Amino acid sequence: MAGFRNLAQWAAAPDNGRWHLTTFRKAVASAATVANDFIDYTYFAGNPPANFYASAPLEAATVEGSRGIHVPQVASQYLKRLTVMSAASSATATTSQNQRLLLADYLLYYPFVDTDAVGEQQDMVQSAALPRYATGAGVQIMAVAQSASSTVGTFTVSYTNQDGVAGRVSDVTYTKVVAGGGTLVSSTIAAVTGSQPFIQLQAGDSGVRSIESVTFSAAGGGLLCLALVKPLYHFVSTQECRRTTTGNLESYGAASQFETVLHGPPVEIKQGAVLGIIGLGNAGSLASSVLTGILETTWSQ
Amino acid sequence: MGFTSQDDLINQITTNGKIEPVVYQKTSVAVGQAGHWQHLLNSVGSVPAATFGGSEATFTATDNTWSEGVIPIGDQTDPATKHILSMGAGVVAAAGAPWFILPIDLVGYAKLTTTNVSTTGTKTITMTPISNTAAKVDRYANGEGLRLFIASYAAMGANAPTMQVTYTNSAGTTGKVTTAGCVSTASATSGTILNSGNAANKYGPFLPLAAGDTGVKDIESVIWGGTAHASGSVFVGLCKPLCMPIPVPATGLYNMVDFVNTLPSLPRLKNGANVTFLVFGTGATTAAATVYANFDYGWGG
Repeated sequence: MAGFRNLAQWAAAPDNGRWHLTTFRKAVASAATVANDFIDYTYFAGNPPANFYASAPLEAATVEGSRGIHVPQVASQYLKRLTVMSAASSATATTSQNQRLLLADYLLYYPFVDTDAVGEQQDMVQSAALPRYATGAGVQIMAVAQSASSTVGTFTVSYTNQDGVAGRVSDVTYTKVVAGGGTLVSSTIAAVTGSQPFIQLQAGDSGVRSIESVTFSAAGGGLLCLALVKPLYHFVSTQECRRTTTGNLESYGAASQFETVLHGPPVEIKQGAVLGIIGLGNAGSLASSVLTGILETTWSQ
Repeated sequence: MGFTSQDDLINQITTNGKIEPVVYQKTSVAVGQAGHWQHLLNSVGSVPAATFGGSEATFTATDNTWSEGVIPIGDQTDPATKHILSMGAGVVAAAGAPWFILPIDLVGYAKLTTTNVSTTGTKTITMTPISNTAAKVDRYANGEGLRLFIASYAAMGANAPTMQVTYTNSAGTTGKVTTAGCVSTASATSGTILNSGNAANKYGPFLPLAAGDTGVKDIESVIWGGTAHASGSVFVGLCKPLCMPIPVPATGLYNMVDFVNTLPSLPRLKNGANVTFLVFGTGATTAAATVYANFDYGWGG
């Protein structure tokens, strides 16, 4: 891993061509989402194209590179800058404001878990392994809805942890009632209220290498995917962008810009990374809003 | 040389008057397509609309003396190096927000028209490779840091062929190829960067270079695949992105970035630079949108 020796080298990298910028634009589907639920922006249309976690049920698969925000194929690069804005779904909508966002490297997923299979142990097929972060250190589990779901279910996940110990069992996790795919359905433990982007692991564990099985103890009325991701960078989007069309015509909006060398760790982005974003809107539904931004990376050699 | 310290910067711009302001304004020639980047070279404004003269399939170098119109940035500072101190931008348009506005130094272009667009296959580009001399075309030695894009300067006909550019990288390796599978945009409006867009196999604003490449020394050819555009006129642009894109959240809003205090950057403005701007529209941006930008640059020595 070749990093940067000092700020001068960091600043000089763009002049040396070691700088890449790319646009992303993700439009949330029209099905309503719920305030304070996380959504998985990769699930929605735009550029990069939607990632529906579509492959054989319960079989491990890697997320296709084309589903991630494009970054160059460089052995070791770092997040330089992230700039993001949220376009409101209409001239009057304010529900996409104040989003908490997280950039992650999407690694592996196990699709189409049946949340109605109460009492059945749904065994996963280990047809692929983690393509990066091979030990699983720091890798977390997201439960992403792949359909609408009608009721609140509960489940546990059996997994192998970052030390290679199999048979570890997550805390009991609640699912949520959702109108469509793309919402993270895992809630805070022991209650359906609140949101937790990642499933709470067994005490002492800090990561996941693979998932062996999932067992539901109460039906959730839908389908979900268990995705393994490496969280990289927390950021936010503040005011939604819009222009009123009646009354006093006014423009609203803000851009949120994060220069990692100043505002947070310049995290490494590993070669082959599939970058995606999850977001939590606290002001209402994110339906039909658009998250747009520019992601910049840099490298030293 | 640049500036030796904050004190030197203040002395150079206040005591010695080594600072120049630049103002730029364009009225977009056509609708900017949602999720696409748009160039404004052939839009009217404070820099006249370019007509892209020069010979077919032949590289035309552009610098601060380009006869078709440039922002007047002189070479009066030579040998002192110029640096951008601040930059701001805004957009006035009925629709299309939010936007990003990216300043680039356009080093040159090669245009393709008629059957070079309406037929597929390899279209050879005639170009003297960028070298490492004092000539303005060589202002980025051996093309280090330069990027490629393909853009329309007339309305495009139906169909969206695949497109790749073969090039010599800045290390002098010939036959390098941009990412396979990148598709153009069918029926694109004039001014559209065709490799960008809001779907699979679209990359914006620049064509991804081959793994490990950090610049372009020579444009060798354009390869059209699939079904050719029915008609249209395009150019391959060779440019250096200058600094972070300026985010514009909504119509009428103005954002400014301070490149002295907020970031350790002071981006270099090379002697001979032909500065122009690219615009990313989250939504479809109304034709005849007003795009304005300004920046200050200073120099030491």
